[in-house]
Amino acid sequence: MTGTHVIIAALVLGLTMPAPAAVRFEARAPRPAPDAASILKTMLAAPALIDYEGTKVISTVRGTRAETVTILEAYKRLGRLRLEFLSPESVSGRLIVDDGVDTWQYEPSMHLVIRGPSFVQGAGSPEPAEDILRRYTVSLLGREAVIGRDTVVLALAPGAGGSNRHLWVDQATGVVLRTEERDAGGEIVYVSYFSRISYSLNLPTALFTFRRPAGAKVLSFHVSGGRVTTADELRRQAGTPIVAPPRLLNRYVFRDGRVARHGAFAAAAATYSDGVGVVTIFQTPASRMAFPNVGRETVVGSMRGPLGRFLDLGYFRVVLWQSRATNFAVLGNVPQTVLMAIAAELTGMK
Amino acid sequence: MIHARLQRQLSAYADGELSPDERREVEAHLVTCIECREELAGLRQVKHLIGRLPEREAPQEVWQGLRRRIAQEEGRPVASGMLETIRAAFRRPAYAVAAAMLVLILVAVPLVKGRIDRLQAADIGVDVYVREHALVSSADPFVDRAYIGLLVGDANLALAGARRAPGEEP
Repeated sequence: MTGTHVIIAALVLGLTMPAPAAVRFEARAPRPAPDAASILKTMLAAPALIDYEGTKVISTVRGTRAETVTILEAYKRLGRLRLEFLSPESVSGRLIVDDGVDTWQYEPSMHLVIRGPSFVQGAGSPEPAEDILRRYTVSLLGREAVIGRDTVVLALAPGAGGSNRHLWVDQATGVVLRTEERDAGGEIVYVSYFSRISYSLNLPTALFTFRRPAGAKVLSFHVSGGRVTTADELRRQAGTPIVAPPRLLNRYVFRDGRVARHGAFAAAAATYSDGVGVVTIFQTPASRMAFPNVGRETVVGSMRGPLGRFLDLGYFRVVLWQSRATNFAVLGNVPQTVLMAIAAELTGMK
Repeated sequence: MIHARLQRQLSAYADGELSPDERREVEAHLVTCIECREELAGLRQVKHLIGRLPEREAPQEVWQGLRRRIAQEEGRPVASGMLETIRAAFRRPAYAVAAAMLVLILVAVPLVKGRIDRLQAADIGVDVYVREHALVSSADPFVDRAYIGLLVGDANLALAGARRAPGEEP
């Protein structure tokens, strides 16, 4: 038996222990609270150690309306995911299978399969907890029981301009059972929690192998172009003049770029990171794209700045504007004020 | 002036090619004009003599000379041949109109397509942005993959051409 198998066996022993027994054990001899680093390590290692399937509820606030989605989520080591959407009606029946290489989405209403790139990343090489601790202010808020399991509540504050996250991490498995995100004003904008979860050491592989329903049409949407790591390479790849400074707001550093394509549409995409969150700047010549009429109107920069649009997607926010015959868009999981400041800075650049 | 004009019509008159009005005008003029009567008589005599001439085959060397010249013409560079073809085509109005329409189509189609692509880009652009950013964000260790799946799934559906409900946004 290898070291990994010993850890897994110990985990399973802990998982299969009846919940009341665990509570009694807690009452007799309370375990010492783990430190933030060790719970983060457990959390980051979980995708390589444990399979699970459960029912997840996600609630987001998009502008003035709340949206709740219920999903059957199954995860298998390393990096395979199955999502079956139960409600609301608009997504009911949707199936997404990510086999670690490709994502297969089946839409029953259109009898359509859409194939795209995998979005389950990092399961094989988790980011060191020490790196995350350097970027976030992590604090332990205490312990809570979530669906009958012991969790440690972590608060992650990325510093100025980011969303504050609260995570309820299963102490035995490291799986996050509940997540809350608050905006800069302290309002909850995103909640995700398992209403039921079942752990396993080996979910069937067949569950994560997509089988095309008979007669379904298949579309391939691999929209991303080749990734480049410098702004100059991105300029060359785009073939049109783009604004791509090395830093934004003296805080976000250019991380990578690519030309996103879909059919005749192409946009230069530059991703910036402050080490915690990412923002992406998209640029498309106005001659190739009319200005999108979405979201609500806003003014970029000063009162005499260009008119723009703001779109709240709950988890992500978008600011769109037009300047120098180019359509710009900035997206990120950051407050509107940060996106507006980035837009003003890009508009003011020569 | 009238005399000169009618004199030019004498050959056509002799061949019976004039309209009734023109013919009457020439005949009225012939009554008073000795010069035109003499010229008409000369013309009729020439036509009579030509009509009596026997038909002769062209000598064989003439045909050989013609064939040589045709072969030389065909051996000329393609560009000049093509140029001649284009020139010949433009001598015929129907070909000229067809060529003009072809040029119009070649210019108009990209313009119209460009305009349609531009409007379509405004429709799908934000979905491409959301999808791309969601995929980039999936590297975040704290991101909820189920929510990324929801966002990417919605964007995919819009990019596949699914209609949105009125008022629904990306």
